[in-house]
Amino acid sequence: MPLQQGSARMRQRTVLLLGIVVLLAALVLAVVLASLLTHGRHEVGPKMLKWKDRGTTKNLQEVVLGRCYNYITAQHPELGDKDCLKIWESLKDAFIYKNPCNITPEDYQPLMELASHPIPCNKSLFWSKTGDLVHRYTKSNQNFLTLEDTLLGYMADRISWCGDPSAPGINYESCPKRNECESNPSSVFWKMASKMFAEAACGVVQVMLNGSVEAGAFRSSSIFGSVEIFNLNPDKVSEVHIWLMQDIGGPQSESCSGHSIQRLISILEERNFKIICEDNYRPVQLLQCVHNPDHTDCRLCTNST
Amino acid sequence: KWKGEGTTQNLESIVIGRCYDYIRIVNPSIGEKNCSQIWEAFKNAFINKDPCSILPEDYELFINLTFHTIPPNKSLFWENNQLLVNSFADRGRRYMSLGDTLFGFVGDFLNWCGQADSPGLDYESCPTTMECENNAVESFWRMLSIIYAKHSSGVIHVLLNGSAAGGAYPQPGFFADYEIPNLQKDKISQIVIWVVDDIEGPDIDSCGAHSVKTLETRLTALGYDVTCTDNDK
Repeated sequence: MPLQQGSARMRQRTVLLLGIVVLLAALVLAVVLASLLTHGRHEVGPKMLKWKDRGTTKNLQEVVLGRCYNYITAQHPELGDKDCLKIWESLKDAFIYKNPCNITPEDYQPLMELASHPIPCNKSLFWSKTGDLVHRYTKSNQNFLTLEDTLLGYMADRISWCGDPSAPGINYESCPKRNECESNPSSVFWKMASKMFAEAACGVVQVMLNGSVEAGAFRSSSIFGSVEIFNLNPDKVSEVHIWLMQDIGGPQSESCSGHSIQRLISILEERNFKIICEDNYRPVQLLQCVHNPDHTDCRLCTNST
Repeated sequence: KWKGEGTTQNLESIVIGRCYDYIRIVNPSIGEKNCSQIWEAFKNAFINKDPCSILPEDYELFINLTFHTIPPNKSLFWENNQLLVNSFADRGRRYMSLGDTLFGFVGDFLNWCGQADSPGLDYESCPTTMECENNAVESFWRMLSIIYAKHSSGVIHVLLNGSAAGGAYPQPGFFADYEIPNLQKDKISQIVIWVVDDIEGPDIDSCGAHSVKTLETRLTALGYDVTCTDNDK
């Protein structure tokens, strides 16, 4: 009957209309949710902790991966079996979503194992308060390796990272300074990497110290003074050569006969290492002279030669 | 197939990683760059083409995306002494050699080439410059040398190796053929040449002699104020 058909058609149309409305509502909801979620991913979560040091380096993954591949492909093909993706993942897992004041050596154990490699004897070069000079030296003389010339140190040099329990798990705004908490991702990393670098050393090892620093060339509070010298293995390491470098034209705060150096020597001798200390080791001084060619210390023929 | 080494493994990750390394750590003063776009422009210069038909101009988009100014008085040209240049330039802080610019930094020490009719990189072998001049790597460095020279200003420095067999100033060479012709005379106040011998190396060349004399004569004839010093300390 026409009336019944009419009402059936109306019911159909209503159902259709309702269906369309529901679909539209679902679509709008989906769009709103999507924008909220992506918005949240790029923004600092309001619950993220705030610290005093610079935050995680942007594009950390690309930088670390690129450095890893650069190191093993372009510079050290003998390490060709290293898996850079796995290495990156193990670094990320060490700190992501964790409170950055609760980092432990165990967090870094997988990374340390994946990225460590043997160091040839007689090539280990330690340093304290001579960062610029020592790395300029190893860049021009590849007979020596600092920690930053090993895969682990090379990847981590000059970048920063820390996590946070709230999403996205990485804090790009700020990271804890050492005086805010000691067990922060960076301090724990460098302490552990330094310990392993010292343990791996064999033969004659070298250390470049700064004789122009007022507080003394050797400090027990430095990583060298608190971690590295105590992790040198007397069964593997025979001698320690100290290069005491003073700034050209700078203060001559300390030389090999100075107090802190004598203290260092006695600590090392107690552990049965033979020590040689040299003031202003000439090959490194020549590098300093490149930027101070007119200074009297930089004349080509010195009285001592 | 070709006589040279193939493309460096993981080239894309290395190039993109270096690009971010440069803008985040090495020299953030140049501002934000799109490293994925830069990789695409770099790759498109040479993929899907005959690896002996790559021209410097093919890298134009790459240059446009990576370009940044070179501070006056900081340009450092060199031949045959890359390790010395690295420590001399102090990672761009004292001088900015081509390898310390973003465009040079991403390609330094790497090797690459493509193949005709395929979007892939050739990891097996690449043509040497002896086999064909217009190869991907040679054209890259030619383009970059041209750009670097064109945008250098103030006092420019040239570091030459006085112990190099064949002379401190190589001809042909990048400095001779692509950099000197593109120096902008009106922007350059002086050219300072240093001839440095390898420590305990032979003293084959020096200022006023052989190839260095050729260089000094050429630059003076072009109208530049030239000084030369031997065995920089």
